[in-house]
Amino acid sequence: MTEFYDKLEESFRNSFEPSSPPDDKMPPWTETQIVGKRLQRVDAYERVSGKAEYTYDVNLPDMVYGAILRCPHAHAIVKNVDTSAAEKMPGVVGVLTGKSPGTDIPWYGVGYGGGPMQSKLFDSHCRYQGEEVAAVAAQTPYQAYDALKAIKVDYEVLSFVVDQDEAIKPDAPKLFDAGNSTGKPMPNQRGSVEKGFAEADVVLEETFSTSVQLHAAMEAHGSVVKWDGDKITIWDSTQGVYDASMLTFARTMKMPYNNVRVICHYVGGAFGAKLELGKYTVMAALLARKSGRPVKLMLPREDTMLAVGNRPNARMTVKAGVKKNGTLTALQLTNVYSPGAYSGAASVGFLFQELYKCPNVMVTESGIYTNVGRARAFRAPGFPTGAWALEQMMDMLAEKISMDPVEFRLKNFTDVSQSRKMPYSSAGLKNCLTEGAKKFGWKEARAANKDTGHIKRGVGMAAGLWMMGSGGPPYTAEVRMFADGGVTLKTGAMDLGTGTKTVACMVAAEELGVPVENIRILNADTAITPYASSSGGSMTLASLVPAVRRGAWIVKRQIMDWAAEALGVPADDLEIRRDTIVSRSNPDKKRTLEQLFRAKGVMDVIAIGNREPNPANKVVMPFSAQFAEVEVNTMTGAVKVLRLVGADDSARVVNLKTYENQVYGGMLQCLGYGLLEKRVMDRKTGKMCNPNLYDYKVPGALDVPVDLDVVPIDLKDNECNNVGSKGIGEPCHVPTAAAIANAIFNAIGVRPAHSPMDNRTILELLGKKKRG
Amino acid sequence: MNNFAYVKAGSLAEAIKALSTKGAWLHAGGTDLLGCARNEILPVEKVVSITSLKQLKGIAAQPDGSIKIGALTSPAEIAASKAVAAKYAALAQAAAAVGTPQIREQGTIGGNVCQRPRCWYFRNSDIQCLKKGGTMCYAVTGENQYHAIFGGGPCFFVHPSDIAVALTALQAQISIAGPTGNKAVKIENFFISPKKNVAKENMLLPGEIVTDIRIPPVSGTTKSSFRKIAARGSWDSALVSVAVALEIETDGARSVRIALGGVGPYPWRVEAAEKMIVGKKLDSTVAAAAAEAAVSGAMPLRDNAYKLDMIRGAIEESLMAFI
Repeated sequence: MTEFYDKLEESFRNSFEPSSPPDDKMPPWTETQIVGKRLQRVDAYERVSGKAEYTYDVNLPDMVYGAILRCPHAHAIVKNVDTSAAEKMPGVVGVLTGKSPGTDIPWYGVGYGGGPMQSKLFDSHCRYQGEEVAAVAAQTPYQAYDALKAIKVDYEVLSFVVDQDEAIKPDAPKLFDAGNSTGKPMPNQRGSVEKGFAEADVVLEETFSTSVQLHAAMEAHGSVVKWDGDKITIWDSTQGVYDASMLTFARTMKMPYNNVRVICHYVGGAFGAKLELGKYTVMAALLARKSGRPVKLMLPREDTMLAVGNRPNARMTVKAGVKKNGTLTALQLTNVYSPGAYSGAASVGFLFQELYKCPNVMVTESGIYTNVGRARAFRAPGFPTGAWALEQMMDMLAEKISMDPVEFRLKNFTDVSQSRKMPYSSAGLKNCLTEGAKKFGWKEARAANKDTGHIKRGVGMAAGLWMMGSGGPPYTAEVRMFADGGVTLKTGAMDLGTGTKTVACMVAAEELGVPVENIRILNADTAITPYASSSGGSMTLASLVPAVRRGAWIVKRQIMDWAAEALGVPADDLEIRRDTIVSRSNPDKKRTLEQLFRAKGVMDVIAIGNREPNPANKVVMPFSAQFAEVEVNTMTGAVKVLRLVGADDSARVVNLKTYENQVYGGMLQCLGYGLLEKRVMDRKTGKMCNPNLYDYKVPGALDVPVDLDVVPIDLKDNECNNVGSKGIGEPCHVPTAAAIANAIFNAIGVRPAHSPMDNRTILELLGKKKRG
Repeated sequence: MNNFAYVKAGSLAEAIKALSTKGAWLHAGGTDLLGCARNEILPVEKVVSITSLKQLKGIAAQPDGSIKIGALTSPAEIAASKAVAAKYAALAQAAAAVGTPQIREQGTIGGNVCQRPRCWYFRNSDIQCLKKGGTMCYAVTGENQYHAIFGGGPCFFVHPSDIAVALTALQAQISIAGPTGNKAVKIENFFISPKKNVAKENMLLPGEIVTDIRIPPVSGTTKSSFRKIAARGSWDSALVSVAVALEIETDGARSVRIALGGVGPYPWRVEAAEKMIVGKKLDSTVAAAAAEAAVSGAMPLRDNAYKLDMIRGAIEESLMAFI
């Protein structure tokens, strides 16, 4: 198979390749035929029929199965690992420990921005329940798990700490020689909050906290690896075949980049947890080399919940000042959180610095290491958490000055980025607020009589933005048009289930003037498809589709030039209609692609589209405003979300259907964050109480509001990039939990400052209120 | 997980014989057996399947007005049964509240009543808790928001069955076949306290199998209901559930049975609450008094006192719905 693709690659390189002068500007589309429509995914059949091949589905001849032995203790030193019995078990073909050759690989940074590596692939100092101690490969998964049990590990069990307040005490067990602090907090200040509080008519202070949320992707993490001499092919469940997987793997293993081929056509969920190289991938590779067999190593569900990431907790103290007329004067956030045992968390403060016009802002954040699984990026890292605090505080302020929450936010709206001091390319927040409120019927719902006995109704809203979502270079797409109008599109970009492939095909079809069915897309295979950075930060669409359009435009322009020459009309009078170039002014003047290509002696036209830089003097960010109606049973503490409306700005909507899917998914995942989801650590043993999908409560179909609606804020933005689109995957996930919290307050007059707002939290809050 | 032998029993006698050896476990719906084995809470040596014993399936009205439900009858069939809905609404509602549509189709009423606790310490293969032969119950001072507030100690698990709660309010009887013959016990005598035997949740001895469940006839004025409060809309254990069976005459309530789920090691009868209702005309004052009486004697742990409010709320809501 490899040879076939190698040959194919070579033939492409020898093909005709027009160059594109960098100063060429493509005009924005005025009207579109395909882009903006509600189209089915190009891979819908594969996805629903089971034909789609996920990493889990990859089976190779002679393949064996890997499994990882994890430390059962919250904190321990591995004194000795005896694998002799395991090696003799039936079916076992390889065993790895920290003593095996090739395993001395540094892992996990500590300190600001990742910092120096402080751990190893197999580190003898295990800092949380779930750290890797050994790995085996065997002919069946069952044999592999049996072999893990036969490994005898001599642990020196250490005292541990899972609570951040305990961990920061001087006599707490230390995770690192330097102590448990991630570093001295560095306050980030704009203006002077003291001045702002002095100017305010109202100053409020409240502490908000959030629980740890787990990614809980449907497909577990894992890889299938196969060596071919000194070359390796990795089928990886990843968010980036290049950065997250191939490049990091090659550097880690000290291999040439092009000896590593990574493939990932389908991912069963990722949400940020698959943005980095997995230890399991390296272990699978080492086991495969040792055994001479391809290895599949997929993590069991428990392992994914213990060891491959989470959204960290936060304890956010917010102090805010406002004038009676609704002008914000100061915002101050102090956040203390734990990233777990190693660095890997995100700031929650940016929303405070950016969302509203406010001259005086101070953010101070400090992290404390604890003996629990490490945080990773998680859909809009830091933002749903920050919104939980900021957007509840905004409602508290609005109430205090007797202003409507939507009016209050509009009052503090700005079209200039507060942190970067430049205007937004499209400042969608105002539209999100006004159009969302209209769709929701905000004024009427807010004024409605809610007294229905012990079941109280309430409505609330919250806003948000996402700091990335602009996309940007480097990102490449190869567009290859055949003489019959068929187009092959190739890109290293991932489709995490968001619809990337579909929107890429739509943009190519739009630019080339051919039906979407004419486009065939190949993606996420480092041996075949050109470079694209990892899918994270809501960057994929806004990075990829401008590169696709650029590539398609170069191809089209080449063909138009040939046709103009052949027909004696100006190129801008021509358009492609399926497989024919036609003059708009004189439709009798036309040439088929076949005729044009034959005349030039080529079979196809290929161009590489590169993503242009983002505008130098504009800030590109997507915005969101979401509205919720809830019913709170004051007797049982049950919260039922009756209605959610998401008004989300991603500028031009490329595909209405995949846009809606993103917003629905973003809102529901954040609903889980607000109402249900919580990692529970046992403080006595340091073990996780709920490392499974029964006890860790991801919302199910019956927890989804029946009335779920989105309002696409389809703004014209000719400056962000040549397609005019921003990312949507994360901004739509930012305000939902806060909107629900505000609705709960509206219903019962009690503010749920702690997430999740489960029955227990609500009943305890109501009990406290009753007792005064 | 151990390798185990698999026996598909062709008759009840064969199943009883196969089940009488150490480490043998019954397989009926199989919705949780594999999970228990994988989490190593059972030492599984042999799995004895009774899925082909057709005589244990189905719902049959009896000449005396009672109803007999075979142990292998699925919650889905019970939830959809007109015979059940007509007289035993609480049971139909409890069956409909079980797990997920898949579990309701695949599971069995016998298995539901005999299921193992969902306590997260018990289910954790890394933790050797009291119930699994260890020396301590981790819930006592641990993460105990889901644990018992009634009848706890020395182990504080709560019985996870929804159906058993309804059956307790409806005075069901459990039929058991075993090596020493057949017997029938009242559901209240079927379950046992952890104080008596911490390793088990019911009285079944090795080789014994629940064969059917019988519910006595009810008068035309008897009404019943089941209410479940859980974090999620499906696939979740009850934080609190309540089943009420009430015989109402024009002059007041003649008899009342109230059972709670999610609060104790077995469906917890709240007789103090029942007494507040018997002989009285049901109104909001009576309902509130009953709700208050229901929590008398509760012994909440650090994190589960919220269940008291929840019980009050669930009982009051249930009773008010009959008015």
